[in-house]
Amino acid sequence: MSDVVLKNVVKAYGTTPVIHGVDLHIASGEFCVFVGPSGCGKSTLLRMVAGLEGITDGEISIGGVRVNDLPPRERDIAMVFQDYALYPHKTVFENMAFGLRLRKRPDAEIRRSVGDAAQILQIDHLLDRKPGQLSGGQRQRVAMGRAIVRNPRAFLFDEPLSNLDAQLRSEMRVEINKLHKRLRNTVIYVTHDQVEAMTLADKIVVLSAGRIMQVGTPDEIYNRPAAKFVAGFTGSPPMNFMPCTVGEGGGTIILDGDIRLPVPAARRAVCAAHAGRRLEFGIRPEHVFAEAAGNDVAEVPAQVQLVEPLGSDTLGLLRIGPGEITGRFAPEAALATGSAIRAGIAMNKFHLFAPETGDAIRGPGW
Amino acid sequence: MKATKKYQLSKLERDERRLGFLLLAPAALLLAAVVVYPIAELLTNSLYSFRLTRPGYRFIGLENFTFALFEDDRFLHSVLNTAILIGVTVPGALVVGLGLALLANQPFTVKWPVRLGLLLPWALPLVFAGLIFRWFFDYRQGFVNWLIELAGLTPPQWLSDPRLAFVALCVAIVWKSSSFMALILLAGLQTIPKSLYEAAEVDGASRFQQFVEITLPMLKPAIVVALIFRTITAIQTFDIPYAMTNGGPGTATETMAMYIHKTTIDFLDLGYGSALATLMFLISIAATSIYLRHTRRDTGRG
Repeated sequence: MSDVVLKNVVKAYGTTPVIHGVDLHIASGEFCVFVGPSGCGKSTLLRMVAGLEGITDGEISIGGVRVNDLPPRERDIAMVFQDYALYPHKTVFENMAFGLRLRKRPDAEIRRSVGDAAQILQIDHLLDRKPGQLSGGQRQRVAMGRAIVRNPRAFLFDEPLSNLDAQLRSEMRVEINKLHKRLRNTVIYVTHDQVEAMTLADKIVVLSAGRIMQVGTPDEIYNRPAAKFVAGFTGSPPMNFMPCTVGEGGGTIILDGDIRLPVPAARRAVCAAHAGRRLEFGIRPEHVFAEAAGNDVAEVPAQVQLVEPLGSDTLGLLRIGPGEITGRFAPEAALATGSAIRAGIAMNKFHLFAPETGDAIRGPGW
Repeated sequence: MKATKKYQLSKLERDERRLGFLLLAPAALLLAAVVVYPIAELLTNSLYSFRLTRPGYRFIGLENFTFALFEDDRFLHSVLNTAILIGVTVPGALVVGLGLALLANQPFTVKWPVRLGLLLPWALPLVFAGLIFRWFFDYRQGFVNWLIELAGLTPPQWLSDPRLAFVALCVAIVWKSSSFMALILLAGLQTIPKSLYEAAEVDGASRFQQFVEITLPMLKPAIVVALIFRTITAIQTFDIPYAMTNGGPGTATETMAMYIHKTTIDFLDLGYGSALATLMFLISIAATSIYLRHTRRDTGRG
């Protein structure tokens, strides 16, 4: 039992609230990622779980124990810091052994635990070095090693990969994933990188301005975003948004410039309830096609503004009426800057958002 | 660096180098005038019998030095006094200074009173500090004896008792010099990343364990620097004993620098004074090089 439960958790600095009543249940063994832009409160929330920040109101429990008033050392957690926070004057071995030594574990056990962790992380040849003699990736591994030797109830990661270069970051991402599959500890992982969130998480918590916008699996967050903020935060490039009006009876969606997109039968009933309303139309780049072919694909006249070949696929910026959308196309799609094409939009994949609240409008099954 | 080939300098580089030397010249000349020349003069005088009370300027070799080291009890006594002052006040100032630095490093909402309290003893002139403490330990009007009388005890004669005078001197010197220690240590404390303490806290270290395991080792370079500076200035201790006891009672609290001062200024024996000053200079250099070797070894380990 090492689930983490947050009940109406509030944090305020003076009279300025920064976390507004967060409720969250992280199951035992779950990999939970807090994601959001800078200043959304994700790190603060993590540090509150760690006990490094106080809680203004609410309750946090770890493994069924209320920890509000417990100092970090009594919460049975381990943390990996953004700057790794390795002790510069201690060797790698002593860095990893420190927590065990403080708990007065016998020497033989310390050697065994550190040795095992070092082997898992492939740093057993570095145990005699000081952190100053290690590369960024190696330090990252030591920081993780220091966390896993303690075998805590929960691992807390505070943007652990943000100081690494792109290639190392994706390598370490895979390592962390493997490590979790192997150890099955509860993990709370803070990042602003939605790729890390999507690839690592069992559960993603999207935060904005101290509030939870959505909690869900990566699939739910990506395919069924509950709000425009969530939709715009995930995906690279992010979802396209255009103002639209819902046509009479919900049969069409009319983009500015009188571009009429037929709504598939399955989605008409929900659209009909919003007939005549101004809404925000959202479509992901991969649901925009260079040609209009297939079922439920609406044909729109478009002009190619910009082509960005990425190798694996090609991004194209298209002008549709007065608006612009980005499409993700197959690399062999023949796009020429300035040319006019008949683009396609997958109408069984679009999203609608209320412009006032940003809330998603969707029916069951879409 | 060994692999670097020696290569011919281009004309441009030669001109640059010449200009560099030219620009250095005024500073080098100034240094020569105010540092090199007086030291050379000092070394020369130390080999002569040169008393203003007696005519003559006579070369006597190392006689001044042998007299100082083997016959002049007053000098050896002043060396011992200085050593005691160093042995007590340097560690004393380190401990008090570390305490002050830790205090000043706390997250106070209003920082300036703490910083001012730290800076004030440091900013006071030494003689002024000496006078303050002379009044402080005064037999009749002193604050210390007032407290002792309040407690119903017999007030001692602080500055007239050889032992107690030393205690009073040490208190004054520690008070005066610990703020300088604190400033250096505070700068060192502020370079320790906060996340190290957080990591230690999560690892399970108590406040005291954090101090021993994080603060002290991370502060070691700053402590070494503070000790070097403090020891070198302590070797030259003069002002505070001069103002508080003037070396008294008798010569009980006379330091090396005070004896040199008396020899040269009061007894007008420039030759012997120069020899004593040379000895003090050598002691300073020895102390500095011990510390420097220590720091070099330490940084070499990384």
